[in-house]
Order: sequence, then C-alpha cells, then structure tokens
Amino acid sequence: MSARPRSLIYALFGLVPCVLMAQGQSRADLSRDLERLTKGERIAGVPAADSVSPGARSVPAGSTIHGTIVARGPVEVSGRVDGSVVSLAGSVTVRRGGVITGDALSVGGRVIADSGVVLGEMRSMAALPTLLGAAPMAVPVRSSAQRVTDAVRIVSVTFGVLLIIALGVLLFAGRNLDEVVATIEQRFARAFWLGVVGQVCLLPALALLIVALALSLIGILLIPFAIVAYAIACAGLLTLGFLAVARLVGGAVWHGSTGGGQSRALLALAIGIAMFFAVWMAAALFAWSPIAVGVLRAAALAATWAAITVGLGASLQSRAGTHRRVASAPRAVELAAWQTPTPVAGVVAARRHAAPAREGR
Amino acid sequence: MIGRRALRFALWMGLSLPSLGHAQTTPLWRSVDFARQLRDTMPQRIRVQYGAGRVDVRGADGQQLYGLHLRYDESRSVPLHGYDAEQRSALLGLESRGNAMRNASGTGESGELRLTLPRTVPLELDLTLGGTQSTLDLGAMSLRSLTLKCSATEANLLFSNPNRGRMRDIDISVGAAGLTASHLANANAEQMRIEAGVGGVDLDFSGTWTHDLAVTAQVGLGKLTLRVPPDVGLRVDVERVFAGFDHAALVKRGDGWYSANYDAAPYKLHIRAQTYFGQIEIQQTR
Repeated sequence: MSARPRSLIYALFGLVPCVLMAQGQSRADLSRDLERLTKGERIAGVPAADSVSPGARSVPAGSTIHGTIVARGPVEVSGRVDGSVVSLAGSVTVRRGGVITGDALSVGGRVIADSGVVLGEMRSMAALPTLLGAAPMAVPVRSSAQRVTDAVRIVSVTFGVLLIIALGVLLFAGRNLDEVVATIEQRFARAFWLGVVGQVCLLPALALLIVALALSLIGILLIPFAIVAYAIACAGLLTLGFLAVARLVGGAVWHGSTGGGQSRALLALAIGIAMFFAVWMAAALFAWSPIAVGVLRAAALAATWAAITVGLGASLQSRAGTHRRVASAPRAVELAAWQTPTPVAGVVAARRHAAPAREGR
Repeated sequence: MIGRRALRFALWMGLSLPSLGHAQTTPLWRSVDFARQLRDTMPQRIRVQYGAGRVDVRGADGQQLYGLHLRYDESRSVPLHGYDAEQRSALLGLESRGNAMRNASGTGESGELRLTLPRTVPLELDLTLGGTQSTLDLGAMSLRSLTLKCSATEANLLFSNPNRGRMRDIDISVGAAGLTASHLANANAEQMRIEAGVGGVDLDFSGTWTHDLAVTAQVGLGKLTLRVPPDVGLRVDVERVFAGFDHAALVKRGDGWYSANYDAAPYKLHIRAQTYFGQIEIQQTR
C-alpha cells in the first residue's frame, strides 16, 4: 500500500470518531432544547428528537399537519398546523391562508404573521429559558378542588400557628392570660365597648405618637422603631385578647376535670380556638360555592371580630393582664343552694334567741 | 515542601472561591417578546403584575391584543403570559421565584417591561407594580376602567390624547412613592379615586373636558398638588389633620371651597381631598 491511501485511511479513522462525537453532542443539545421547550415554554406535544426537522421546514398551502412542528431552521406555514410551530434557529413565518392553532415560537428569529393566523401566542427569544426549577408560567386557573384545598390549607396552617402561639402564651404569660380571662368574665360589656373604642383609636394613637416624636430631632429618628414597636404591641394585645376569649369559650364548652391546671387551660384554649376555626374551616370547605363561602366567611368574620373586640377591650382594661386586680380580687359570695336562709317569721323565728332591745329607743 | 503545597492550595482556593461565588450570584438576563393576535374587538381585561424595574405601557395601532417585551433575570423571576379565552382576560408580567432574594445581581442592571395594548379594544386594565419606574401613556385608548396599584413606584401616568369612550372609573393606590398624573381630563372618566400612603401626588386635570368629574384623593403623609384649568369650575372639600391647605383664589361657601367661576363654568370638578400630614396645594393654571 502506497503512502497516500494509507494516510487517507488514518485520516478517516481519526475523523469518524470526531463526527460521531459531534453528532452525539448535537443530539444531547437537541434533547435538552426539547426539554426546555416542554418545561420552560410549556409547548404541548413536542415531538421526539428523531422527528425534529434538521433544517428549514415548510407547510405548503392546502396541507394540514396534526401535531407540533419543531425545526432546526426557519419554518414557513402556508397551510394549517393543528398544534404549535417552533423554530429552534430562525423565524416562523405564517403566510396568507396559513393557520397555526397553537403557539408560534422562534428562537433567534421572529414570528412574522402579518397575514396569517396564530390562534395561540407568538413568542420570540434569543435563547430558550434555563431550567432552574419548576415555576408557574401560565395564568393560574384554579379548579374548585384546588380552591378548596388551598383554603383548607390556609385555615389549617393559621390554626396550627395560633395553637403554637397559644402554647407559648400559656407557658410564658399564663398569669396575664388568666387576668384577661377574668376581666372578660366579670366585665364583659365594658370590655366589648372598650375594644370597639380601642380599634377606632388604633391609627389615631399611632399618628399622635408620630407627631409627638416628630417634635424633636431624636424623636424623628425613632419614628420607624416606634411604628414597628406599636405594631408589635397592637398585635400582641389582639392575640392575647383573642386567646383569652377562646379559652373562656373552650372552658365553657368543656368541663373536664382531669389533668393539672395548665393542661386543662391548654385544652380549653385549644377547644376554643378550634371552635372559632371550625366556622372558617366550613367556609374553606365551601370555597367552591361563591354564595355559601360568602355567607360562611361573613359569619366567621363576625364571630372572630366580636372575639377580638372583647379580647382587645379586656387586654386594655387589664393592661395586657399585668394589672392584676380582677383575678386576685375576692369574688362576690354566691348563695349556695344548700344554704338555708335565716327564718324571720314562724315558729323557728319565735324560738330564735333575740337580741335585747336597746334602752331609750 | 508541605508548607509550599499548602500555600499553593490556599492561593488556588483564594483565587477560585470568589469566582465561584460570582457564578452563584450572576444574574441570568433574558429577553423575550410575547404577542397575541386580536380576534375581535369585544371588551378584554388585561392584568399586569411586575415587581422591580422599568415599566412602559402605551397604546398601539395594529392587530395585536398585546405585545409584551420582557427583560428579566431568569434566576429570580419567571414571565407571566397567560390568556383565558373564556374570561377574555390576560395576565402579563413577571412573577418572582420562591428564592428571589438568593441572587442579588448588584450590577446596577434592572429588568424591563414594555407593553403595547390595542387602542380599538375596550379594555379593563389592572396594573400592579412593585418597585418600579413607570411610564404609562394611556392616551387614545378605549379604556373602560383603570386600576393602578403601586407599592414603591415612581409612576408617570399620562393621557396624551382623549380616551375613546367613557371610562367608568380610575382607581389608583400608591404605597410609598411619587405619582404624577397628567392630562387627566383626557381620561374621560366619571370618577377617580386616589389613595396614597407616603409620597407626593401631582394631579393635572388639563386636557379635553367632556363632562363633570368627581375625584376622591387621600394622602397619608405627603404633598397633594392639584392642577386645574382656570375655565373649569372647581369645588374642593378638604379634610385634613396636620396638613396645610394652599387654596389660591378659592372662596369658602358652606363646607366647600369654590372657584369664582364655579356656577358659570361648563364643566365642574369636585375634589374630596383628605390628608393627614403634609400639604394640599391647588394651582389653577392653563
């Protein structure tokens, strides 16, 4: 064998693996692009890599293609495509009479459809999106079941969070809670009206605080902190008040005698919160029906507002449970049913030893 | 020997780690154009949501329901470009990814939203904008209603030409931002509500007047400037707590302040202005 054919064979041996590698690389790129089309651009019915046109593609007038077309060159549509049309490297042109029932997408070119019809969306971009993770791309049209699930989830999470807060309050501010509960028990009407006034005065009080602080230079610097502190204080008062009402309601419903004082209080608190949340949960379960959910949410809102109002009033009255007068004060002695009143007439009264009459009367 | 290797390793790590960190925080900027052909001229609803960047919305002639250009950081957000044919409603803009705070670009670059809407189609337009710099030229469109919610936006709302047809209402809610609205008479709106938390609100009522207009403006903390043409009859009802009221040449009659030409003016503007801290200024200029 002469030198020239031998070198040709060597060159072929060297070239073939390179070509195969390049083809493999290209195939991998194409598979990745198709995945980006499906997941990133939500193009439905993307064909397999084998069915992708390697270069330009055209749909002649009068012809109909069912399914999505993907090409690695420009696409020209004069017929009908029942699906989407994608050009991975070039423009998509829809000629007069051409119809695309899905989307038209061009990477590195434009979608030109001045005389044709694209029933879906036209998109043009320099590159396909990077797949960084699942993210919603389309309008979130939620079904009834999804709406119910979401609403139930929100109510459940809120209930759980409130239970955790309740546990914290019971552990670290149990005496304050007792005082607020006692205040509600004994001064309910006053607590309610004070709660209403408190709600009305929340914002004006904040405004007054800001004005007072704005009078001095240091005060102006403190305004943001004051606003945050005020918001936290208000949230604390509202939560404490609501928990106190929940505990009172829970205690009224459940008369268990097992367990210690704190565990009984916790159980009463949990039952009370659950009772309030039961209405919200009912509203969540009826999220599929606009009328029912409206009525139930209004009921839940009214009950919660009443509880928060009474609780806020009691919290203000008892200064967040620190002004321990009501709980520690001696309660009015109730006349027990078994006690016999002192007779004032009849035989028993006549026999009773009477005190001697004062002289000079 | 070991010391030299360790030094070399430390040097390599020192050089390579910052570049790794840079790779993690480098934004992935991407530009996309979305468009949808117009099928008919029945009323449509367009909702726009956009977090941070530059916003430009304007009317356009042509056969597109919308033409949207987005430039955004892929690592932080995903485009919204859905259309509900049954509801005749489109949702456009950007949505943050869950880990949006992970990558702060720090390059000073910002995203962009450019939206063109048809002038011939009656639209209900809802814009919800975050920290943006917005230019909204809604002149010569066929708006039925406009709702603009801004949290921290420098918004410039302009009706450069009269709206085609009567607009039901304009509802603007601004958080902590500045709002300048020009040629509001061209909006052809029946009523207008503006709520602003903190910031300056500048409302210019020039343009083509076709009917009376009622405006409710509430500003928490900031300056409310009202520019009214001199040939329009003006009545202002003011509620203020710690705010100044610069009423120019208005005369008090009963509960309101009236311009001298109020009774004779062909068109009347009734403004109910509320502000807590700041100033209300009225300028009667052409």
